[in-house]
Amino acid sequence: MKRLLLIAGAALLQACVSSTVDQMVYNAPVEGVGEGTVVILGRRQNSDYETEPDFVECIGDYIHGKDRSIRVIDELDFVNALYPWFEPRTAPLYPEDVERLLEHEVVAQRMRELKTEYMVWVDGSTETTDSAGSMTCGIGPGGAGCFGFGTWSDDSEYEAVIWDFTDRAEVGRVATSASGQSYMPAVVVPIPIIAPVQGTACDGLGEQLLQFFSAKY
Amino acid sequence: MSRSTISARCSILCLLLALLAACGPNEVRVQGDFPPPLMDALPLRLGVWYPEEFRTHEIFDEAKSRSESDWLVNTGAAQVDMWDTLLQGMFINLVHLKQAPVAGKPIAGVDAVLIPHVDELQYAIPQQTHVKVYEIWMRYRFDLLDGQGASVAGWTMPAYGKTPTAFLRSDEEAVNLAAVMALRDAGANFVMTFPRIPEVGVLLGMPESRPEPGAAPPRPAAAGDPLLEELEPIDDGIIEDVENVPVETGGEVTP
Repeated sequence: MKRLLLIAGAALLQACVSSTVDQMVYNAPVEGVGEGTVVILGRRQNSDYETEPDFVECIGDYIHGKDRSIRVIDELDFVNALYPWFEPRTAPLYPEDVERLLEHEVVAQRMRELKTEYMVWVDGSTETTDSAGSMTCGIGPGGAGCFGFGTWSDDSEYEAVIWDFTDRAEVGRVATSASGQSYMPAVVVPIPIIAPVQGTACDGLGEQLLQFFSAKY
Repeated sequence: MSRSTISARCSILCLLLALLAACGPNEVRVQGDFPPPLMDALPLRLGVWYPEEFRTHEIFDEAKSRSESDWLVNTGAAQVDMWDTLLQGMFINLVHLKQAPVAGKPIAGVDAVLIPHVDELQYAIPQQTHVKVYEIWMRYRFDLLDGQGASVAGWTMPAYGKTPTAFLRSDEEAVNLAAVMALRDAGANFVMTFPRIPEVGVLLGMPESRPEPGAAPPRPAAAGDPLLEELEPIDDGIIEDVENVPVETGGEVTP
């Protein structure tokens, strides 16, 4: 009973998030990746933001969590295995660039070893906007405490571009946007009521990507 | 002296030490893992000399206001680590010189000698830029000598690395990660641009620069690698394309 109350309490302390997901399919997938692997990479070419590595990892975990048969290669392992051809300066921007990359026999050989079937490029970030409020914390001989109220909103915008390695072509795009308002009232103890904006965007992208990679979806 | 008195004194001492530590600069000794390059080795026996200021490279940035902190960023060990890993994979043979090359004095067993320098390093943290990324920018200067100790080429090369802010990641960790990204970018930039330098192309075509027996077979024309020619560096407005930097040739190199 206490556990149920705890879970209910934790659920109530989550603020609301609104999310939209758009999908464009150029080549409808017919079956899962089979023995092949999927790699999810973040685009890092923009100067004013950077796709968070944690977000890229979150999508991979979501896909693998929903369908254990899908092997998702860790982003860092992949770029290390193919260094320096997937660094921000050298990463292929279009599927045709991969074709040229594979002309290099050592690169083609490494790709065969990794059995890469699909490559997903994730571009975007989560920004905190419109923060307001104030909070004061103090400490004294009798104890410590905070008083005040803070609020902020988070906005996530991400796009995933899916390349099919077998056909060397872009097979689809998935875009997601999510936003939510978080609150932090404090009466002695601060109570964070966080909107899981990035997590919602991760789940939205992951769910759509599963339709490309999983035979179950 | 009672146990409670000792305990109280220890607590005060720890508090004072903590306060003193807070007055010190933010110090980053850059550490990271650098993968070897995935490429066919260029047919060149390269000697490398890391000058003292390169091996121990660090910058100290004094705080400009009370709200800022001093920063000490040491990249020396990481520089040597990265360049050793890169050059070992990039050339058929890498030789570490035990002393600085002297202009005009032949160096046995090598076709060329590379001397890297870090001319400049700048960093930016979100408190300064109000952008959610930590950035490191570096400018390298390279001197290339031939096996006879004569200057072959000299050029500069930029490198850039950034990392986003992350929950529970300290400024020091983020700057370290940005520096590692900048070093990786330096390696990528060097792999892309080195064979394009005209003097290097001439050097790669020299009969003396053929691989040693048992070494990995070189490609017929390493400088004409389709991969290196066709993949264009990304112009993001921050990273300066090395092709736009005039290549300085000739002149004496003073080690």
